Amino acid sequence: MGEVVVLAVSAVLLAGFYAAMAYGLGLIYGVLRIVNLAHGGIIMASAYVTWQLFDRFAIDPFLAIPIVLVVFFAIGVGIYLGLVRFLPRGPAGAVQSLLLLFGVWLVIRNVAYLLFTGNEQVIHTGYATSSVRILGGSFSATRLAVFAVATVALFTLHLLLTRTYLGKAIRAVAQNPDSCTLAGINVERIYVFTFGLGTALAGLAGTLASTLFAFNPSFGASELLKSFVIIVLGGLGSIVGIALGALVLAFAEVFAVYAVPPYLTTAVGFVLLVVVLVLRPGGLFGQRVLR
Amino acid sequence: MSRVRFLLAFAAALAALWVAPLVLPIGDYTHNIVGLTFMFMAAALAWNWLGGYVGQISFGHAAMFGVGGFVAARIMLSSGLPFSVAWLLGGLAAGLFGLLWGHPTLRLRGPYFSIATIGVGEATRLVATYWSDFTGGSSGLSLPLAGNPTKYQLYWYGLYLLGGAVLISYGLARSRIGLGLSAIKEDVEAAGDLGVNPTLYQDIVLFLSGTMVGVCGGFYASYQAFIDPQDMFSFDRSIGLILMAVIGGIGTVLGPVWGAIVFVIIQEFLLANYSELYLGLYGALLILIILFEPLGLTGLVRRLHRLAIPVRRAT
Repeated sequence: MGEVVVLAVSAVLLAGFYAAMAYGLGLIYGVLRIVNLAHGGIIMASAYVTWQLFDRFAIDPFLAIPIVLVVFFAIGVGIYLGLVRFLPRGPAGAVQSLLLLFGVWLVIRNVAYLLFTGNEQVIHTGYATSSVRILGGSFSATRLAVFAVATVALFTLHLLLTRTYLGKAIRAVAQNPDSCTLAGINVERIYVFTFGLGTALAGLAGTLASTLFAFNPSFGASELLKSFVIIVLGGLGSIVGIALGALVLAFAEVFAVYAVPPYLTTAVGFVLLVVVLVLRPGGLFGQRVLR
Repeated sequence: MSRVRFLLAFAAALAALWVAPLVLPIGDYTHNIVGLTFMFMAAALAWNWLGGYVGQISFGHAAMFGVGGFVAARIMLSSGLPFSVAWLLGGLAAGLFGLLWGHPTLRLRGPYFSIATIGVGEATRLVATYWSDFTGGSSGLSLPLAGNPTKYQLYWYGLYLLGGAVLISYGLARSRIGLGLSAIKEDVEAAGDLGVNPTLYQDIVLFLSGTMVGVCGGFYASYQAFIDPQDMFSFDRSIGLILMAVIGGIGTVLGPVWGAIVFVIIQEFLLANYSELYLGLYGALLILIILFEPLGLTGLVRRLHRLAIPVRRAT
């Protein structure tokens, strides 16, 4: 019984990170109708940036977050203005954007490999080993901090999207870009901003990931997959949907230890994806996101 | 190109390639590499049936390549069946495996399908790596020497594979199924309203594509005489097929053939010396092609053709 509670708390902590990780992908897809295949590459790149900041300038990963957000917002804007902008919109551009951003991912991976070799890297903070007791289980302080940061980030984003003019414009563009143009919203500027914001969120996820896991240049593939599973599970409608999707995935993964050997936990998300797609093509919660 | 002209050109090319090693002074290395390239061409064409004709980009074709290779290898190891039968059985196993994951996921369109295939590829790779009773795990499998064709002989088998793949590519593109596939690519729902069953058509194409890629896996197993799951199921293998098709011209009938030539040249001659740059180079190629010539080499040739032959003016 006690073990189940500990695993449940563990799953909730993991879900916080997952939700933050998936939101960037969901936001870009919701507004631009483009799946950012470079998402995993951005997460990996950000883990390296965080590591470099820590290693060279002794900046704590959690204090590095503002820097990472700015840097990756700029990178996102750069990718949009330099590449994505030239693709056709709509279904015709879907295949092209997929291949293009996949190419970006390969390039990022190669750059990381050239700069930092293929070795695994870990960030050893001073508090990496300290832990906190909750409900009879002990949890590392880092995981609690990651959960806190992810939750704050999601709430901030929720406020941005629902309470500000910019956020309302983003949501309006997601619904109908053509009417937005008529209403005097600069749609192109919203696209640039959204791509930057989504990339910055992936950057945040990378920083958080770097405090939890070891990483190398091929890190990010399963993060991309999990983010995708979450947006399919939860729908793109709301923060709540993303949070629920993240919870379902995290619980499935954590409790899978009872059923499958450890090396297969990565496959759990995928199996979940196929099952959900077969049973409920519209996602578990919220509106239909799939056609 | 009319059907007759196509078949004549096809037969002539096949015959020329069939006799070429017998009459031309080709070195062993080139001979073997060309044989392997035939296989890559066939696999890239097979990828294109799904990725190009239907527009369902698969990042998971390595799964079928690996299944085909390992089933063929296991059959050759455990029975006295000839290698060609083992390849075919491996291909069928791969095609069925494709249906197993493809039937539920092919109802997804575009990016959703693509990301699901990343999952398929990764899950298959993980299972194959840890299922060492079947795949030999990280130490792999060695094929029996007896009954396995030599690399020299494999040139002709590669040519047969390519010939089959080209015929299917042409046949698919020109048939009723091909029209159905373009309809699905343009608009699934409209295609459904016009009596094209998207599920059935896509299942057929994935089965064909998976079977062909699986047979290619069997060929590769015979070619290397040793296979291990990390190589057979690697993500890079799926990427390779995508690149060949994209370089040559995604969705065109013969584009992947030219793409495979470029791919093998890059791999054998440029990257032998700069192996640490290959991912970035592939990525950069993808970006450049998508931005400047989405139909790859085929698009480039068409563009040059238009430039060379001025439009005839009505007199």
